[in-house]
Amino acid sequence: MNNSSLLPSALRIFDISLGQMLWSRRSVLLGLLVGAPVLLAAAVRLFAATNQLPVINGAGLNGPTLFGVVIWWLFVRFIVPVLGVFYGTALIADEVDDKTITYLFTRPVRRASILIGKYFAYLGCVVLLVLPSVVLVYFLLVPIGGHIGESFPALAADLGMLAIGLAAYGAVFALVGAMLKRPLIAGLVFVFGWELGVLSIPGYLKRLSVAYYLQALVPHAMPQDSSISSLLLAIQDQPPVWVSLIYLFVIVGLSLWLAGKSVENREYVLEQ
Amino acid sequence: MTVRTRYFVIVSLLVIVVGLGTGLVAYYVGFPTSAFFSRGGPDELRFMPGSASVIAYADVREVMASELRQRFRKAVATGAQENGQREFQNLTGINIETDIERVVACLDLSANGLGMGAGLVLARGTFDETKIEALMRQHGAAVENYKGKRLVVGDRFTPPFPGNDNGGAADPTQPQITPPPQNSEAFSLAFIEPGLVALGSRTLVQQAIDRQIAGGESAATNEELLSHVRPMEGGNVWAVGRMDVLRARAKLPDIVANQLPPITWFSIRGRIDGGLQALLSAEARDDESANNLRDVVRGFLALAKLQTSSKPEFQRFVQSLELSGTGRTVALSLDVPSQVFDAVGAIAAQPPARPQQ
Repeated sequence: MNNSSLLPSALRIFDISLGQMLWSRRSVLLGLLVGAPVLLAAAVRLFAATNQLPVINGAGLNGPTLFGVVIWWLFVRFIVPVLGVFYGTALIADEVDDKTITYLFTRPVRRASILIGKYFAYLGCVVLLVLPSVVLVYFLLVPIGGHIGESFPALAADLGMLAIGLAAYGAVFALVGAMLKRPLIAGLVFVFGWELGVLSIPGYLKRLSVAYYLQALVPHAMPQDSSISSLLLAIQDQPPVWVSLIYLFVIVGLSLWLAGKSVENREYVLEQ
Repeated sequence: MTVRTRYFVIVSLLVIVVGLGTGLVAYYVGFPTSAFFSRGGPDELRFMPGSASVIAYADVREVMASELRQRFRKAVATGAQENGQREFQNLTGINIETDIERVVACLDLSANGLGMGAGLVLARGTFDETKIEALMRQHGAAVENYKGKRLVVGDRFTPPFPGNDNGGAADPTQPQITPPPQNSEAFSLAFIEPGLVALGSRTLVQQAIDRQIAGGESAATNEELLSHVRPMEGGNVWAVGRMDVLRARAKLPDIVANQLPPITWFSIRGRIDGGLQALLSAEARDDESANNLRDVVRGFLALAKLQTSSKPEFQRFVQSLELSGTGRTVALSLDVPSQVFDAVGAIAAQPPARPQQ
């Protein structure tokens, strides 16, 4: 197999895998994850139609602020990494667990194209579910005391940032899934242990996380809930947007290349 | 790809495209939620000079009726406020509280610099034109005809300031404010539309009449200005201005001017009701200047939070301060609850401490 056949094979795998992923049992989790913010936003909208939004810590809530909070805490901090972990680690691991990887490897295509095709199917699947959810949340929340046109640049930046975040986390966990036998545990430890830990520690360790670069793309200010967090913000170093973009693209490219290499070279022993 | 997968892809893409398209149209055209913002700003902008450096707006009726104003009126400086309003009413016959609906003001520094003749105020409301004109004539103003509009000019106008209110007769013991005849900076007033009064220097009021008759270049055609005015929609008080022009005209000493952050535009949008919610925005010269400014503000916020940790009445206000903004924009939002005004009122009402003997 030469390199020229990689892309057509990957597209064929993408075509088959997209439908499988969309209508799989795992998509129930995805549906709940992306549906919850929409339901929450609809509830807030209904509440705001008859009541004044509460004042928290002296700050009156409005739609654009709430939208920023939802994007920051629900999407950036939770939904995007969780989707990356559950889908990314499963790209190859599911085929190994189901003992169907042998059938894929017997096809006359490069092994790496299977991973690449599945990765693009993952990306298509999550982008097509997450981004419409964000758009719906935007139109439900922002008109509460805000204006659709005024906040539109933030929406456009959010959509781009989330798509890049899904791509980066998916690529990293595709690599984890291709290299480790129990990738899900490693993925969860990375997202909820390593990333949260290094981000709160001053120093250079945070540069070894995806969240560090992704946060620089968030157009909303990080919610400040205490003097300490304000001081941390004052001393934190945040990379410029262009640097973050370069790093995130490097993370995607490098992770996929390493994952492809791993799939090509690894001997998968199926448990009987 | 199966049929249901294809349908799913189409529906998802449709939601994204329709959402982005709607947002984009709203961003460029604007979805007015108020008739005052039909052109991307209040209608009065078409009478204001396109070279205006500062534009300010106040929904007087809303502000006057607000709970905050009522509390403020009861707590602080009741007498001083009413005296000021009475003086203005004696001078112009306009009752700020009942006659004026909203006010749009501008400062045009292109011609006269930072002088008396740089300001123009357009007030919309319900006015008794005959009474106002008669009252101003009684105080020494003259009426001219300018392109079919009656222009009340205070060339020999003696405003009834304290010690000067003697029914128009000159008081030999007090210095008189008597601008020279045909002074272009003389205070003038004209009803340029039914229910719309223009107050300001003779030149600016005449220019407003010119724009009302012939149209042409105005603040409403200045796209750069409008792009900063449009986001102000929703506030009942706001101001937008060019900081670089103000700084250049202010003729500050170099040592002071060099210390000021390199801001090109500034805007303040406030909403006064039970409390005060405001958004202060500044557009810096470049990304680096904006980052520096953000760092400075962040430092001050952290310091303020630490300083007010033992003062619960101010803590809520300081906690509401939120810094945001990307690129060249730096924004600070704040929410001042009515309790803060109560606390300030209580402090102001305390008798000054006696020096110890």
